[in-house]
Amino acid sequence: MFLKSGRLRKNVLVIVLMLALALGACSNNGQSGEAKSEKDGVTTVTFWHENTGVGEEAIKAVVDAFNKKHEDIKVKPVYTAADESQNEKLLAAVAGGNPPDVSWFDRFKVGSWAEQGALTDLTEYAKQDGVTKDNYYPFAWNEANYQGKLYAMPVDTDARMLFYNKDAFKDAGLDPDKPPKTIAELEEAAEKLTIKEGSRFKRIGFIPWYNQGWLYSWGWAFGGDFYNEEEGNVTLDDPKIVESLEWMTEFAKKYDVEDITGFTDSSGSGAMDPFLTGQLAMHIGGNWSISGYLKYKPDLNYGVAPIPTPTGDNFTSWSGGMAVVIPKGAKHPDEAWEFVKFFGSEEGQEIYNDIYKTLSVMDSVNEKLGYKDDPIFSEFVKILPKSHNRPVLPEGELLWNELANAVDNAIHGNGEPKELLKSTSDLVNAELE
Amino acid sequence: MKSIANKRKAARTAKTNNINNGATGWLFAAPWIIGLFLFYILPLVVSIFFSFTSYSILQPGEFIGFQNYKELINDELFFKSIYNTVYFAVIFVPLSIIFGVALAMLLNIKIKGMTIYRTIFFLPTLVPHVAIAVLWMWMLNPGFGLVNGFLDMIGIKGPAWLGSEEWSKPSLIFMSLWGIGQAIVIYLAGLGDISDEYYEAAEVDGANWFQKTFHITLPLLTPVIFFNLVMGVIGAFQQFTLPYTLTQGQGKPANSLTFYVMYLYDNGFKYFKMGYASAMAWILFVVIMILTILIFWSSKRWVHYQGK
Amino acid sequence: MNPEHAKKIKFTAAHVCLMIASLFFLIPFIWMVSTSLKPIEQVFTFPPEWIPRPFHWKNYSEAIEYIPFWKYLINTSVITILSTIGVVLTCPLVAYSFAKLRWKGRNIVFAITLAVMMIPAQVTMIPLFLLFNKLGWVGTPLPLIVPQFFGVPFYIFLLRQFFMGLPDSLREAAKMDGASELRVYWQIMLPLAKPAILAVGLFQLMASWTDFLGPLLYLTNEDSYTLSLALQQFQNKQGSEWSLMMAVSTLMTLPIIILFFFLQKTFIKGITFSGIKG
Repeated sequence: MFLKSGRLRKNVLVIVLMLALALGACSNNGQSGEAKSEKDGVTTVTFWHENTGVGEEAIKAVVDAFNKKHEDIKVKPVYTAADESQNEKLLAAVAGGNPPDVSWFDRFKVGSWAEQGALTDLTEYAKQDGVTKDNYYPFAWNEANYQGKLYAMPVDTDARMLFYNKDAFKDAGLDPDKPPKTIAELEEAAEKLTIKEGSRFKRIGFIPWYNQGWLYSWGWAFGGDFYNEEEGNVTLDDPKIVESLEWMTEFAKKYDVEDITGFTDSSGSGAMDPFLTGQLAMHIGGNWSISGYLKYKPDLNYGVAPIPTPTGDNFTSWSGGMAVVIPKGAKHPDEAWEFVKFFGSEEGQEIYNDIYKTLSVMDSVNEKLGYKDDPIFSEFVKILPKSHNRPVLPEGELLWNELANAVDNAIHGNGEPKELLKSTSDLVNAELE
Repeated sequence: MKSIANKRKAARTAKTNNINNGATGWLFAAPWIIGLFLFYILPLVVSIFFSFTSYSILQPGEFIGFQNYKELINDELFFKSIYNTVYFAVIFVPLSIIFGVALAMLLNIKIKGMTIYRTIFFLPTLVPHVAIAVLWMWMLNPGFGLVNGFLDMIGIKGPAWLGSEEWSKPSLIFMSLWGIGQAIVIYLAGLGDISDEYYEAAEVDGANWFQKTFHITLPLLTPVIFFNLVMGVIGAFQQFTLPYTLTQGQGKPANSLTFYVMYLYDNGFKYFKMGYASAMAWILFVVIMILTILIFWSSKRWVHYQGK
Repeated sequence: MNPEHAKKIKFTAAHVCLMIASLFFLIPFIWMVSTSLKPIEQVFTFPPEWIPRPFHWKNYSEAIEYIPFWKYLINTSVITILSTIGVVLTCPLVAYSFAKLRWKGRNIVFAITLAVMMIPAQVTMIPLFLLFNKLGWVGTPLPLIVPQFFGVPFYIFLLRQFFMGLPDSLREAAKMDGASELRVYWQIMLPLAKPAILAVGLFQLMASWTDFLGPLLYLTNEDSYTLSLALQQFQNKQGSEWSLMMAVSTLMTLPIIILFFFLQKTFIKGITFSGIKG
């Protein structure tokens, strides 16, 4: 009895191990950039991305267009299932010396990854092939560069603006064609639009820090500067930025921040967006929300306007977006560059942004795609030449999180805006050294 | 004469057994000893080394001695995250044990439909984390959520839950209690392990439910409670996925949900300070280790193994 | 009060308690299933609606087509089954050795076994990845399967607790009869620990089935992806496909629910200590 079961167990073990090995052998060729890429003179370029749905279709269209043009290079897109906030997969692959040839990349991270030597310097390639900053919006090109070198090829972008519900405006006796331009007008409109019953809001006029109301949005709107390029340090305690945070804090006090968080915390994408349900009359949003609005509430009567400023002029915004990069250690950097160049060119951008309905980093492409004639998109395209980019720093991520913390603490009354920003500034500068 | 011979024989067998035991014991544990070394100790040793360097995952960095540890002392968020984590662990672990044991005992009664009940209690552990996070934000919505709606009905004005600094951690504890299905399964297996004969004997002695629970069930369940206590402490101190998903990694509001490992993760993977993160990990290790030693040391007093 | 009557009251009370608690525990599941059947505009309405109107059964067929569902199901099953086999083979053996056998260094090795759980996986993730990278296993499911064959500390600890609870007298009696240690383990101890082993198997099954980070790091070929990776595919900056995602989630949980439903009888009455007194 025992012998029998013992043998049985051994057999099971052997079978299992063999299965496991066979499985491993089968899928081994999946490893990026490894082996059997060069077959009949065709180089396979692996391209990792994390786009889903229409975004993935857009990427595949660009890849197809490229592959049709190049007989000796075949780009293979691989969906990585990573999400924006987690980058372990690429990180581990680069650390292991086995990265893809091309990767989809948030431009925001260019500073930190370039500082770590994890991205291939594209400056020489660009120079050779005549790719210059002339065709791109200044912020997009800036964000792809770190310390005077090009590390990424920008492919799409976004911008933040004031979204307002025209029906709500009519309802509150405001002119739906005259969105607020100054901060004072914004406050006034917000007050008129707000309907509060007890601690519960039936409708909130405006929440400064909701959605894209980051400190970047307000600091720049108030005319502040976050970074001193010459001295190489962040200047978060710039009086204008302090002013903007003080304004947000005042707002939080006036409307009771705990009551407001009911809205902000339940916020999400899709049909539950309070802006769609009419519970929020105005907010600072990005162009990527537009397709969702169309999907969930096609008849939403809304408009967009620049983020109000204290003076009612000098409107601005800030923009981020995606890029393609060649990670350090990529097996076929030359061929990868061909694809990167194509994606960043007018042709590639047109294909991508047309399908995905995002903004191109080239003004000419936005014009071609008809964005300038669209009542909503044209507002975005208009602001882009004046848009800012977040400072390209090795500590960009830390700066981002610390700014979010500072705002969070300020509006919850945990400290004075000025001191909070001063200490955040000191903390980030200490890390920068 | 005969009995002496028997005794001798028994003693000899026992002795050979013991010698055998040494080798067999090692042999039985061999796969794990290899695995332990390869998949656990090796990476651990590497991470101790990292904690003394400025390793960034992408760059090896330099050896900087105790610099990382020194810097931690001046890191406000580090202490804040310790506070949050200890707060969570101190409340959650005991609650999870009390509720876990109580529910498991309820689920161990022999009544009709029990299979269905047991399955139901296990269900929340099967729902993906993203879904759980969204669901809770929805339920705890201060204005329209189910929870405050219910409180409203009985005349209580509910707090802002996840939006409030004061209530965010209790909310998280409340949410986490939903996931005790796994612990319940372990308790149930433990309850099933208790021989019926104990109860039969107690019944003969005329013991009531209360006496049976406190003199038989609970004492004999202590090995399992002990296990869940140790694992609960380890798990609570390493709390990560739920608050991270819930707050998109921000620990909102006002860092009240920034837990130790969340901050460690940000340092390692977002700020490229894996050396610093490793130092954090080893401090955490020491803390959990001390707690575990305390639990083990105390276990001699309250854990009863049936086998002994 | 006659005992029959008392018993009835007790059972009714138990039912009431269980039903109330069940409601609480059912919420996430009901929400998941109900969302999976809702048309997209109805997913997040305020105040919440629990019953889809109308029932959108189409979500399921759409969800299955949205991703290579069957292929990923097979991938996930292979990884899950193999790693569960690994755990069930190795962990009881090791645990038994920790609980019942005496060997030099046992306590130290056991202490280390506990200690390795106290370091957050976030710091060992990269060194481990580099190790598997050296072995050439990255891009294959091996890193998700092979380590399980060498044991998992959590399960070893759990099973050790159970073996500790089994009477020594059993083992000694068998040894007196001249049985080898392996035989004692296989024929006497293992069957007795069946409930705990099943629980451990179930845990590993669930862990592999829902693991996200492991497949994310180690699988680099879309053809070898698992269902948990596919769930991510429903998330989109421009608006996630919540209904479809919940449909796949529901489909993913079904096999585990069924398994649990049928296995649990074994968890509970797996052992009858016939003739053995502690």
